Amino acid sequence: MNDQEHDGQLDALFAQARARRVDTSKAEYAFETRLLARLRTERETSSVWAMVSWRLIPFFAVCVVALAIWHSEIVTETSDAEQMAYVENPEPLDSLHNLN
Amino acid sequence: MVSAKSSIPDEQLVDATLAGDDNAFAELALRHKSRVFGVASRFAHDAAELEDICQDVFVQAYFKLRQYRRDSPFEHWVLRITTHKCYDYLRKRRRSGTHLSVDAMLESGYEPSVPAPPAPHPDLERLHAALAQLSPKERLVITLLELEERSVQEIADFTGWSTSNVKVRAFRARAALRKLVENQK
Repeated sequence: MNDQEHDGQLDALFAQARARRVDTSKAEYAFETRLLARLRTERETSSVWAMVSWRLIPFFAVCVVALAIWHSEIVTETSDAEQMAYVENPEPLDSLHNLN
Repeated sequence: MVSAKSSIPDEQLVDATLAGDDNAFAELALRHKSRVFGVASRFAHDAAELEDICQDVFVQAYFKLRQYRRDSPFEHWVLRITTHKCYDYLRKRRRSGTHLSVDAMLESGYEPSVPAPPAPHPDLERLHAALAQLSPKERLVITLLELEERSVQEIADFTGWSTSNVKVRAFRARAALRKLVENQK
C-alpha cells in the first residue's frame, strides 16, 4: 500500500473518531455547583495559609534575631580565645613559611 | 439567579466575578463547560480524570481572571487553559506510565444518557491505541487538528507555539500515527 492510500485510511479513521464524540452530559451535570464548592475550599485553604504565614512572620523574625545574636557571640568568643591563645603562645611566623 | 444572567455578555460576567460575584463565574462555567468537556474528553483517561481536568481549568481561570486581557473571546482564553491542562495531564500520565485504554471512558461507569453509545469499532480501537503511543506534544497537536478540527493558527494560539512549529509537529505526528496504525495490522 502506498502513502496516499494510508493517508486516506487515516483520514477515514479521523472522520469516524470525530463522529463518535463521547457524551459528556452526565459529567457536566451540576458541574457549576461542584466547581463553586471547590473554589470555596481552595480560597479557604489559601487564606488559611496566608493567615498562618503572616502570623508566623514575628516568630521567624525573633528566630533570625536570636540566631544573629548567638552567631555574633560565638564569633566574638572564638576570636577572643584565638587572641588569648596567641598572646600566651605566639607562633613564630617562620614556621608558617617553612612547611617543607 | 443564573437564568437572569444568561443575556449578559461574558466580559460583564468577568467584571462581576472580579468584583466578588461567584454566581457570575458559575454562569461563565455554565456557558463554556460543554466546549471544555468536549476538548478534555479527547484526552481524559476516564470520567474522574475528565472531571479533574475541567475543574482545574475553571479553577485556574477563576484565580487568573485578572490576567484575561480581553483581546480575544473569553471562550478562546478558557480553551487555551484547557489545552495546557490537557497537555499537563498527558505528560503526567506518560511519567506515571498509565496506559490509555481505548474507549475506557465509556466503559468506566460513564453511562451516557440517550442515545446509547455504539459498540467500539475495531478501527477506532486501533486509532486510539496508536494515539496513546504518541508523545504528548504530537498527540495534542494531532487531536486538536484532526479530531477537534482546529486550524493551525488556533492551535498556535492555544499552545503558544509558532504556526510553523505546529505544522512540523502535525506532520511528524501524522507520519508516526500512520506507521503505528500500519504496524497494528
